[in-house]
Amino acid sequence: MFARLFTQNQNRLYIAQCLLFLAALGAFFSLASPYFLSLGNVNNVLTAGAVIGLMAIGATFVIASGGIDLSSAGVMAFCGTLCAFCLQKGGWSPWLALPFSIGLGGLCGFLTGFLVNITEAPSFIVSLGMMSVARAAAYIVSKGMPIYGLPDNVISAGQGQMLGLQVPVLLLIVGIVLAWILLTQTQFGLHTLILGDNAFAAQAMGVPAGRVRLKTFTLAGIYSGVAGIIFMLRTNSGDPTAGQGYELIAITAVILGGANLFGGRATIIGTVLGVLCLGVLQNGLNLLAVSTYYQTLFVGLVLIAAAFLSRVRSQR
Amino acid sequence: MSGLRLENITKSFGAIQVLQPMTLAFKAGQVTAIVGDNGAGKSTLLKVMAGIHKPNAGAIYLDDKLLTNLSAADHRACGVEMVYQDLALAKQQNVVANLFLGREQTRTCFGFLNRTAMAERAKNELNRLGISIADLNTPVGMLSGGQQQAVAIARAALFEPKVLLFDEPTAALAAREVGQVLDLIRQQKEQGRIVILVSHRLNDVFAVADRIVVMKQGRLISDTPTAATSMSKVVENIVG
Repeated sequence: MFARLFTQNQNRLYIAQCLLFLAALGAFFSLASPYFLSLGNVNNVLTAGAVIGLMAIGATFVIASGGIDLSSAGVMAFCGTLCAFCLQKGGWSPWLALPFSIGLGGLCGFLTGFLVNITEAPSFIVSLGMMSVARAAAYIVSKGMPIYGLPDNVISAGQGQMLGLQVPVLLLIVGIVLAWILLTQTQFGLHTLILGDNAFAAQAMGVPAGRVRLKTFTLAGIYSGVAGIIFMLRTNSGDPTAGQGYELIAITAVILGGANLFGGRATIIGTVLGVLCLGVLQNGLNLLAVSTYYQTLFVGLVLIAAAFLSRVRSQR
Repeated sequence: MSGLRLENITKSFGAIQVLQPMTLAFKAGQVTAIVGDNGAGKSTLLKVMAGIHKPNAGAIYLDDKLLTNLSAADHRACGVEMVYQDLALAKQQNVVANLFLGREQTRTCFGFLNRTAMAERAKNELNRLGISIADLNTPVGMLSGGQQQAVAIARAALFEPKVLLFDEPTAALAAREVGQVLDLIRQQKEQGRIVILVSHRLNDVFAVADRIVVMKQGRLISDTPTAATSMSKVVENIVG
């Protein structure tokens, strides 16, 4: 009976495991620190989680399709820096600078997907190249220095609240809903999972594999672009060094949320829970004044545990 | 002329000629088995018919429509379906997703899935074929080998194909499951489809086939009605 429930509800089981881990972390940190459950701190966790969250949601599509995108943090830094450059140096309207920067994020993703399709090289190699290209572009645009002094109207909009929520959190929620619809309700979402599950079957049955792959990388680029804008708004600057190593945290969150690292299985809800677990872990360790060296160690251990868990799950 | 016709089909992979010029015709309501030793070119011939491989020369016609050089998806659209040896199933996806793989029913131009309609049709089709699967939401990888084979066959039969190609459909099955799969193949024949079967298992071939084609090193060795040959004669043709 249990075995049957388990096999038929794999996604639900992995989400439940993630929820359990999150609850355990929450219980531990709320006992260890009186500030952990305060409204301000919860808001901090959510706002800080918005950048990684959006990158992880984009990565979910790529991982579901059997690929890996290592360029997300580079693209995120490039989009944020470029947007700051356009606003501050170029004097562009935010209505132009924001979509332009996010669009270029999508273009970076499109190029990664296109190169993966035509070279048939592993996506982690191609995206590693794109990571360097995007990061270098961020340095070139900013001449290696952070761009400060964004227009006041942009800062107040980005750091303000709407519907009682911080703008980054609101953007994250919109991103979650759109991604959930795409992955679970559309033919594209199903084709993404099928491509990751059995690429030969997908092609033999007429699934346009190249087009699906292209869309997943483009989507990941767009989500990284939005994450870059949020990072820019939160720090009031376009920083070319932004988010170094974030791509691995985003991938960790996706795997922690129950996705199969080799493709075919992923959920948006799982990814969001994975992001929350990592966010709570880092926030809790900060509150307990744990040294950043140890924080990095803990995140690394979670990554190893997530990779191990993914291996065990894919063997079932 | 109706039916499936291959005219002087050849296929090479680099310097190796896997199929020598081959001409064959297949009629509706008939099961043709293609047998031969490893490397005879049976699976390649099947994949050429399915549009997976493009022939180097020759022509393929289905009811006088030229299929040569069309893609696998176009072959499917024209009514040629294949059940692959490894089944080509997405094992982490459920039964319904696999049955409609590549031909999902959608509600709008935005590609929203019509899951209710697909589940309903999947249930009816499996009932019609006498395939019993308790829960269609089960990931296909969790089903038995026979059930997975049945899902692959049901997928091929779902859109009323004219031609059904089977590549070693009983190779990895237990005896009881073999019987079920052979029954499914007979059902397809009775529904007037062209059924072409590649198999190493001669017992299964003699149980369902109306005609046996023997291939060796990419050549056609013999093409006889099952009633006019024997297992020893077929074995002789395969190894001789």
